[in-house]
Amino acid sequence: MNKMQLSPVISVHNYSFSYETLDEPLLNQLNFTLYENETTLLIGPSGSGKSSLSLCLNGLYPDAVEGTASGVIRFRGQPVHDFEKGQINQQIGIVFQDPDSQFCMITVEDELAFTLENIQTPREEMEARIDEILMTIGMYDYKHEAIHTLSGGQKQKIALASVLLLEPDVLILDEPTANLDPMSQLEFIQLIEQLQSAMQLTILLIEHQADDWLYLIDRVLVLSRQGELMEDGEVESIFQTKQQQLIDHGIFIPKQYLNSPPISKPINHSNNTEPCFTMESTSFSRKNKPILKNINLTLKKGEMTAIVGENGAGKSTLLQLMARLLQPEAGTMTFLNKPLTKWKEQSLRQHMGFVFQNPEHQFITDTTYEEIAFSMTLNGYDAETIDTRTRELLSHFHLIHEQSQNPFALSGGQKRRLSVATMLDETPDLLLFDEPTFGQDAQTTHELMEIMTEIQQQGTTIVFVTHDMDLVDQFCDSVYVLNEQSIQYHGHPAKLWEHDELLNQARLRKPFRLEMREKVGVAHDLGH
Amino acid sequence: MLLMISAINPTVKAIAVLIPGILLGLTFDVFTPLVYLIFILTVTLLLSDIPFKRWIKFFVPFLLFIASFSWARLLYTSETFQNGSVLFSFWTFEVTTGGLLVAISLALRSLCFIALSLLFIMTTDSTKFMLSLMQQLRLSPKITYGVLAGYRFLPTFKHELEVLRQAHRVRGVGRAKGIRGRIRQFKRYSIPLLANSIRKAERVANAMESKGFTGEHDRTHYHQMTVTKRDWRFLGMMVGALFLAFAASYYFGYLNIFGYQVN
Amino acid sequence: MTKQWKLKEIVLLSILGVVFAVIYLLAFGIGQGLVSALTPFGIGPLGYEFIYGIWFIVSIIAAYIIRKPGAAFMSELIAGVVQVLIGSPAGPQLIISAAVQGLGAETAFAVTKWRDYRTRVLLLAAVLTAIVSFAWHYYSAGFFAYEAWLVGVMLITRIISSMLIMALLGKWISDQLAKTGVLRGYALGKERQQNREQDAA
Repeated sequence: MNKMQLSPVISVHNYSFSYETLDEPLLNQLNFTLYENETTLLIGPSGSGKSSLSLCLNGLYPDAVEGTASGVIRFRGQPVHDFEKGQINQQIGIVFQDPDSQFCMITVEDELAFTLENIQTPREEMEARIDEILMTIGMYDYKHEAIHTLSGGQKQKIALASVLLLEPDVLILDEPTANLDPMSQLEFIQLIEQLQSAMQLTILLIEHQADDWLYLIDRVLVLSRQGELMEDGEVESIFQTKQQQLIDHGIFIPKQYLNSPPISKPINHSNNTEPCFTMESTSFSRKNKPILKNINLTLKKGEMTAIVGENGAGKSTLLQLMARLLQPEAGTMTFLNKPLTKWKEQSLRQHMGFVFQNPEHQFITDTTYEEIAFSMTLNGYDAETIDTRTRELLSHFHLIHEQSQNPFALSGGQKRRLSVATMLDETPDLLLFDEPTFGQDAQTTHELMEIMTEIQQQGTTIVFVTHDMDLVDQFCDSVYVLNEQSIQYHGHPAKLWEHDELLNQARLRKPFRLEMREKVGVAHDLGH
Repeated sequence: MLLMISAINPTVKAIAVLIPGILLGLTFDVFTPLVYLIFILTVTLLLSDIPFKRWIKFFVPFLLFIASFSWARLLYTSETFQNGSVLFSFWTFEVTTGGLLVAISLALRSLCFIALSLLFIMTTDSTKFMLSLMQQLRLSPKITYGVLAGYRFLPTFKHELEVLRQAHRVRGVGRAKGIRGRIRQFKRYSIPLLANSIRKAERVANAMESKGFTGEHDRTHYHQMTVTKRDWRFLGMMVGALFLAFAASYYFGYLNIFGYQVN
Repeated sequence: MTKQWKLKEIVLLSILGVVFAVIYLLAFGIGQGLVSALTPFGIGPLGYEFIYGIWFIVSIIAAYIIRKPGAAFMSELIAGVVQVLIGSPAGPQLIISAAVQGLGAETAFAVTKWRDYRTRVLLLAAVLTAIVSFAWHYYSAGFFAYEAWLVGVMLITRIISSMLIMALLGKWISDQLAKTGVLRGYALGKERQQNREQDAA
């Protein structure tokens, strides 16, 4: 496209921003322009200030955080800080990452009304506009629902709807699909595509994993870890010619541009059939509503198994039953040839580890060091052994420099590593992970999978709940598909991808290598 | 026409419940709170659509709580009320008729409080209550919507507490023993809960302001909360009935204000 | 008053109010347990007094973190309102108690013009809160009908509980929270940051 024909909507000149006056600037001397009706992708490693930038663009920062800024951001030629409070927000709308913290009202209707009240829409017009926008996003039936009862994908659509009511010129999407399951991600992206062609929006998209968005993107901006603008250009040129630089900065490369695409895990033909854990005819219900019905499952020693399925299919519940955090209604479970109910609590926790989705929930001490030493102290090891083992783990997980820091103050990736390390004071026989990579960036995901493979090689049986079929494809020996309260598939992942109908029902996607092949096939059929 | 309490303006309703709640503190006789309690129960039964079973479920546990307080009042009645004959002795305590009457009076007063509260809670929508405070009492929108935004997180806290309990169990932390253990446990739960809350507060505030919220009064209202004659009638009825109870009590010579028999 | 408040601070006040409303309701159960244990001896009401400080704690945490006029009062009031919204049968009367308690704490910070948040001021806030709330209950809950010595014991217990739980535990929790780094955008976090910078210099 020829830039000369496009008119600039937002232009940023020598813009720097920092939270504290004395800090290194988080955003450093930025210069770029967003053009009318263009979709621009903003990428960069965690902590490069992408989210802060979006709040600077709509004028909330630096005031909201008492930060300092220099340089100027212009909206259609006028400096953003010259706009009256609330005015610029109507022109630049943002959809944020966390579906649970962008609403202030209980019901869908009231939340949408909140936006309209902010821009002083006359009361008589409100209901019609609410109905209209709900029709547009296909959620009219949910008008009177409480927002907290909706799924993550539905919440993000409501967040989008309430922003669209402002009729903004610019739409900023700050990792809007990072917390959604794969099918909801696709639905959200399709919705954006429809809206953009209907409403003529200028879009700035912030996304770690932009694979599915690529076909909508006109231009890419890359921020470095130091908050400087590293690249500004077209999609192809950036992901192909600058690939190595991006990888060095820990930035995720869309899979279709990867020079060495991932390969699936070969079927393991070893005859090891000794079970580590078995579950027989197990059922569980909550408030008289069945969650799991008649589940049978066997985990072989030393294997890595994935549990997949739609949100709400009962994956986490299954894991909690296995860890004896919930009691089943019916059925028996055996762990290392001993009924699960016969295990003493302390001994069970030593032999079986559980890593929660949010690492912070597992932290119970004041420093990283104590966090790792905690279980060993509890199990009555002598001081010297504890110290040696703790240091070993700290250095193995690259946390040695953070050993006296508060666990909550670590970065996302460090927290994740620490939460795994706390489970490894002794090598456990079984390690359960509840969506360990959900909402994490590429770097953390990669690190974590390496750690898990390594633990598996030491003989630990691993089970994890995930939405990421590429991980299942690359790492797992076995996969269970949960759908409608029961297990609908069990076997090697490579075989699962052949069951199109089942994948559809369980709202699962195929791994990228297969989707790509199908897409290419379709494209050829269309004669492109 | 029947006046339904759920339709009363929430602010007026709160005032109608608060005034008797405060004034009842004056009485130390049995008659006044008894009459008023009967009045509240009648209103609850006739003018609200509260399911009776649900009401009982809330009301009954508090009988126990009140019984315990009344027992103490019975034993430690102050000089002012130590009149009348000795009814019975217990250990080193002597219970007099005066003591018994004041204990019953205070128990009835507490029952009035609870019945009034239930009348309010079970007929009032929390969002409308806050909106009404903003529209009728000019409560700042910043506070109104700030409170509502925080209130929304209630369901997530319950879930988060449950996850924390499980996560701690996996780490081998059992039930706390002793005061030190309790304090540590309190900390282990509160730090992650609070840390998360603070992050959420920041995110929600950003999201709200990004939708053009300024915190000023210059906004339109989707739910227009109004005060009509009907609301004033309700207020008049609730307060009027209390004064009638006081008057009747005075007329029959029961009224007792802070230990002074008024007649 | 709300002019100098940022929306995120008000939302934080509110979320603190919600978190502590839940804790307050749970504490009610603990208090009930203590009451039951003490009731046979006829000193049931003392059961609540031992842990009374817990019902004031949000004032200290909010004031100590945010350090603006009104934080102590509003957080306690919001916790009161939220308890009513959740369905505490103590009801709208509880909003008055909450307001009274909040005012007690706020007074201490007002005396020092909202500039001093050292432990001694927190303790003063605790003592004032205990006394003011006791005065209100003396009227509303009919403590007037108790023998004078029991009233005295109850008051002293409430003051001590308030100093220990509200002031000291509240400060400790807030300081622990500051160590996690999430308070960077609030007064307590900024103070810590300044102290670190001074230490470094």
